[in-house]
Amino acid sequence: MLKGADIVLKCLRAEGVELVFGYPGGAIMPLYDALEGSGVRHILTRHEQGAVFAAEGYARVTGEVGVAMATSGPGATNLVTGIADAKMDSVPLVCITGQVRSALIGTDAFQETDVFGVTLSLTKWSRLVRTIDEIPDAIAEGFYWARSGRPGPVVIDIPTDLLKAKKEFSGPVKFTPHARPADGKADGAFTDTGLTEKIVALLQQSSKPVALVGAGAKLSGAIPELRRLLDDLNIPTFATVHGLGAVPPQAPYYLGMVGMHGTRAANMALHETDLLMVFGARLDDRVTGDPTRFAPHAKIVHFEIDPAQLDRVRPCELPVIGSLADTMPAFQAALRRHSLPDFSEWRAVACGDERAELDPRGLAQPTIRFLDELFSRLPQASVVVADVGQHQMWAAQRYRSSSPRGFITSGGLGAMGFALPAAVGVQLAKPETCVLCVSGDGGFQMNIQELATVHRLGLPVKMVIIDNKYLGMVRQWQQLFYQRNYAETDLSDNPDFVEIAKAYKIHSFRLNEDAMREFPVSSETGDQIDRFLRSPEPELLVFDCAPEANVFPMVPAGAALSEMLLEEEPSQ
Amino acid sequence: MQSFHIRYRNTQGTLMRILNAASRRALDLPSVQAEPAGHDHQVTLALEVNQKQVGQLYREWYSIADVIKVSSGAAQAAEWAAAHPPAGVAIEESRAAAGA
Repeated sequence: MLKGADIVLKCLRAEGVELVFGYPGGAIMPLYDALEGSGVRHILTRHEQGAVFAAEGYARVTGEVGVAMATSGPGATNLVTGIADAKMDSVPLVCITGQVRSALIGTDAFQETDVFGVTLSLTKWSRLVRTIDEIPDAIAEGFYWARSGRPGPVVIDIPTDLLKAKKEFSGPVKFTPHARPADGKADGAFTDTGLTEKIVALLQQSSKPVALVGAGAKLSGAIPELRRLLDDLNIPTFATVHGLGAVPPQAPYYLGMVGMHGTRAANMALHETDLLMVFGARLDDRVTGDPTRFAPHAKIVHFEIDPAQLDRVRPCELPVIGSLADTMPAFQAALRRHSLPDFSEWRAVACGDERAELDPRGLAQPTIRFLDELFSRLPQASVVVADVGQHQMWAAQRYRSSSPRGFITSGGLGAMGFALPAAVGVQLAKPETCVLCVSGDGGFQMNIQELATVHRLGLPVKMVIIDNKYLGMVRQWQQLFYQRNYAETDLSDNPDFVEIAKAYKIHSFRLNEDAMREFPVSSETGDQIDRFLRSPEPELLVFDCAPEANVFPMVPAGAALSEMLLEEEPSQ
Repeated sequence: MQSFHIRYRNTQGTLMRILNAASRRALDLPSVQAEPAGHDHQVTLALEVNQKQVGQLYREWYSIADVIKVSSGAAQAAEWAAAHPPAGVAIEESRAAAGA
């Protein structure tokens, strides 16, 4: 006979889980009581949101399912932002929540929340377990849905009495999904050579084709296939923020990030193209700008695993439904049976120096220089975890690695406070890897308590705060679109982050942006950055940034990609 | 007003997820009828939707784990039978709007 809690842990082990992130409380106590000797290592964070973001960091860098645990009521509701984040960014995540005992459900008992209902629209699948017998099935099915198709979050809510109850346990089970009539239809659509031939025909009719790479490229695990295909296509190519690293930045056809803060070259090419080939991207509003003026001359071929993402912004001519791991090789095989037109003239325009020179990103902005210095000194295969705001976009613009899972951020939801706990999860998954956490002063304070987790575990996370003493991105919008009415974005009374780090026994120092006005930076500054990155201990670097530094290029909300601002208007 | 028929396994939350696809778009639900249908269940919804929403709803319903089949009224019968879910807005219409 085993307790329900023991069954949960045995089922987690059967799913390959070695690490869970969580925070204990009343209803989940039986599960914590059973942890010792279970083979499942628990990482105590200092807030449930820290736990769920850490689980996400673990999942994003490994591609495996991240697991977070919390108690009922406030413990469960504190997971909600992370669950929403995982839904938006296709992160495989299983959240196990304790619930009040079965007899109290629906009575507004102490710490009772309908977490099943609260998370219904944010999860791919969820289950409120009703009997101890359901536990193995719930965990097997939950992990199946978290991993399958477009990955996403799952919630399994278990009443505390079921965690304490006992039953004979015959072992973990496997879940086999029911077949659906249209599943085969969608798969069959692409194996039909007629479709691949149609795509080739569109390419042959095109004079300005482009490729857009999104997160699906990484999630499919088909990076080598993608790179071979792009080499064959040899057309101007750009990436979403989650597609960064999928395409080697040195590829001659690569134009960098596209969208609201994308490069001028990428946005112009996307505006001018007559054939847009999308590989695993949702085409959300940060990528498209005004949807009615998005790629206005283009036909769209959309390779996508989740049919729910098709035609959201613009109808596509040819949807290709399925994992890129399956669809790209089939397309490439078709491509090699034909010859394509010579796109060199278009490539020369789209990838030419003229557009690059007009791109102001490389100008002497000290924060950009600082990030360039940091990134250029990072060891091979490092992972950059960015929070949300101006620093995130600067980091995304300056990121130059070809490591597919090397740039991690909350892209879809844009959840401030993500980076520090996510970096904890990344570092635990990759203990030998240099993990660089880049935050702003606003976001860092949203989960600053996780400094305690970093210290407790001795994780050598390298934390950077770009401190402009503002909620910088909001302030930038206020400056540009709200007549400089800086309503409630002033953070000039920030605490001294160096002193705060010291209180957590973490070494910390400050670097002034004046250090970046020299080019190249002084050897003293360079050595300081090198020591920071190579320290075997956790480190915090506070970089004092100009309060009113802005991120450019910028496509104003509601504008077309071709209407990007390259700098502040002289009158402003 | 258009009617939609969604066949689903009656597991926890599936009907709520189906309805949520409408409510998150602030669509009124003047008529909802759910009932057993053989081994499964079927819900019929009447919704006031535009063509773009039709395609979005179809695909969102179909992405729900225990939804088996989605079908619609006679007006779009041909589209619903196609491998590619209904696109809603016509390509040319969209391009014309973009050029305007």
